[in-house]
Amino acid sequence: MKTRITRRDFLKLAGLLPLSIAAPGLANSLPPGEQTGASQNVIIIVFDAFSAHNISLYEYGRETTPNLARLAERAVVYHNHYAGGNFTTPGTASLLTGTLPWTHRAFHHREKVEEPFVNKNIFSAFQGYHRTVYSHNPLVDVYFEQFKKGIEDWIPRNRLFLRNDIIVPTLFSRDEDIATVSWVRSIKNKEEGFSYSLFLSHLYELFQEEKIKDFKPQFPNGLPNIAGDNYYTLGDATDWLGENLRNFPQPFMGYFHFLPPHAPYATHKDFYGRFAHDGWKPERKPPDSLFSDANYKEEQDLKKRKNYDEFILYVDSEFKRLFEYLDASGLSENTWVVLTSDHGEMFERGITGHKTPVLYEPVIRIPLMIFEPGRKTRADVHLPTSAVDLLPTLLHVTGQKQADWTEGIVLPPFSDLNPDSGRNVYVLEAKKNKKYAPLSLATATLVKGQYKLMYFFGYDELGGEERIELYDLEGDPEEMNDLHVSKMETSQELLNELKIKLAEVNEPYQ
Amino acid sequence: MKRYSKQGLWSLFLMCAFPLHAWTIILAFRDFSWVTERTNSWDAIGVVSYGLIFAFIESVVVFLVAILLGFLISKIWSEDRRIALLSTLVLVTSLWAMGSYLYFMLQVSISGETIDFLISLAHPLRFLYAISLAAVSVTVALPTYLILRSEKVLQGMRGFFERLSLLTLFYLFFDVVGLVIVIVRNI
Repeated sequence: MKTRITRRDFLKLAGLLPLSIAAPGLANSLPPGEQTGASQNVIIIVFDAFSAHNISLYEYGRETTPNLARLAERAVVYHNHYAGGNFTTPGTASLLTGTLPWTHRAFHHREKVEEPFVNKNIFSAFQGYHRTVYSHNPLVDVYFEQFKKGIEDWIPRNRLFLRNDIIVPTLFSRDEDIATVSWVRSIKNKEEGFSYSLFLSHLYELFQEEKIKDFKPQFPNGLPNIAGDNYYTLGDATDWLGENLRNFPQPFMGYFHFLPPHAPYATHKDFYGRFAHDGWKPERKPPDSLFSDANYKEEQDLKKRKNYDEFILYVDSEFKRLFEYLDASGLSENTWVVLTSDHGEMFERGITGHKTPVLYEPVIRIPLMIFEPGRKTRADVHLPTSAVDLLPTLLHVTGQKQADWTEGIVLPPFSDLNPDSGRNVYVLEAKKNKKYAPLSLATATLVKGQYKLMYFFGYDELGGEERIELYDLEGDPEEMNDLHVSKMETSQELLNELKIKLAEVNEPYQ
Repeated sequence: MKRYSKQGLWSLFLMCAFPLHAWTIILAFRDFSWVTERTNSWDAIGVVSYGLIFAFIESVVVFLVAILLGFLISKIWSEDRRIALLSTLVLVTSLWAMGSYLYFMLQVSISGETIDFLISLAHPLRFLYAISLAAVSVTVALPTYLILRSEKVLQGMRGFFERLSLLTLFYLFFDVVGLVIVIVRNI
């Protein structure tokens, strides 16, 4: 039997119409304190290769982050936060899956994570959220591709490039990495001064130069870029994000991975030369006995460090601008904002960059700042924390169902439990180890309390020996004095713990 | 009457392809080790394969430009001579392009005396351009003159090109293999 709506019923329902239109907006207009975690947004901003070692907020000798220092007054600042690995692939995979490299197995360049994590990651965990992602770095796109079922809005990488080569990703989408490497080597002669192409490369460069000529004066060290001539500016990225954030359906979860301060260190003219004559010099460290670059020159290294530090000034300034967008739109009142990185960068011991087997602090210690909605005070956490902690923490604070697969913990001060000062934090570098084999050629680090143990094993350079180093990070944050011999007992204790852990994670691959 | 025979065009194409392929192969194998280190040797083979295909495309472009230039050469001279001349010009131009790259590859540094001398000039940049132009002109004009005027030089160059052509055929075979590899990588 059909239900008929009388004229009287219709008028009753019509009275509710204005309320039904206003209802979705009401949730967002509630004061921050009255909002539930589930209605709050999450934004993760990752600055690639951003080392905590070079951040003045973390007591670096140069004032590289004056704006972060000001913003820290309304944030939780983590002082001893560690990446999962020492380059983008393992570092980002750990952040996104909440697991360490020996679990997600993405420790080779451009490696995918293990199949189960396709449905066990930060995006799949934030069900009911509008999930938006962007990355300048193609290595991160590997994960967006893997996790795309949990992503509503994947912004294409070239959206924020000043000019780009759409030919390669379009024609060779299944082999984009190597097609891009070859394309760069074939036609782009600017990077090294030569290319495979003898003639067309010159025409190509002339054509491309025309597109970016207006931006060049703003960047005296050259335009920031990836793969030779995918040029971008962080300013563009900030404006794009700031202007689009308010249009994302709420609640949203956004992951934005920007390349600065990753090499090439090309800062904006406003910061260029800022540290050129400041007279500051880092503590001098001897070249690494096995892994330093044979062509290392201290002067070049100091210059690169200066350029990197000036690039950080640009990052710092743009993050402040992003926050101004958030404040102006009111989003900072109902949005959790996270600033972090995927790995660090180093300029010491004869090693520049992050392509290295070593795991000294500059290459693994990264920033972590969590901006709680409406927070007006600063909190500092000095306990060692890990990139794998971010996923469980964000799920906890937004009232989501906790992920049962993660190896991380809910970070203080958000955890209901007391912080564990004796917790083990691990970092792994295993680029040369086979993916589905026990770890036999790698560097593993264990940070526990004030101590840090670095364990190298399986490298040809070691001639069958192991290399073990122990540092007291509280008394010797620059890792100048190896205590492996003088504090043999502590060293042995940590080494045993690390070996037990390695045996445990190797078990499925024996 | 046709300006060029099929055989003549084929010879010219092979001579356009030779320097471009040789240079690509040298550089691609130079890159082989770091790409292998970066990921694996299959990826390094991939880089070489894409490079070869690109070299083939560039060869076609250079060949088309050479044909157009060929219309500027008078038919007073025999086809053989014109093809030899065009081939020589492509080869000389390629050598100059390689030279400009070698400057960066070998990290050649200009001596202090030379820099001092250049600084002492009123227009050092103009001087450098003039020197370059003179060098290029000589290396183009001299072979052109010899090929057009001397039967002995012509025969010598033809013999030389025939040997290089054989090598280029191998390169073209590598192109086909490279194409197959690229297709396999993108399936």
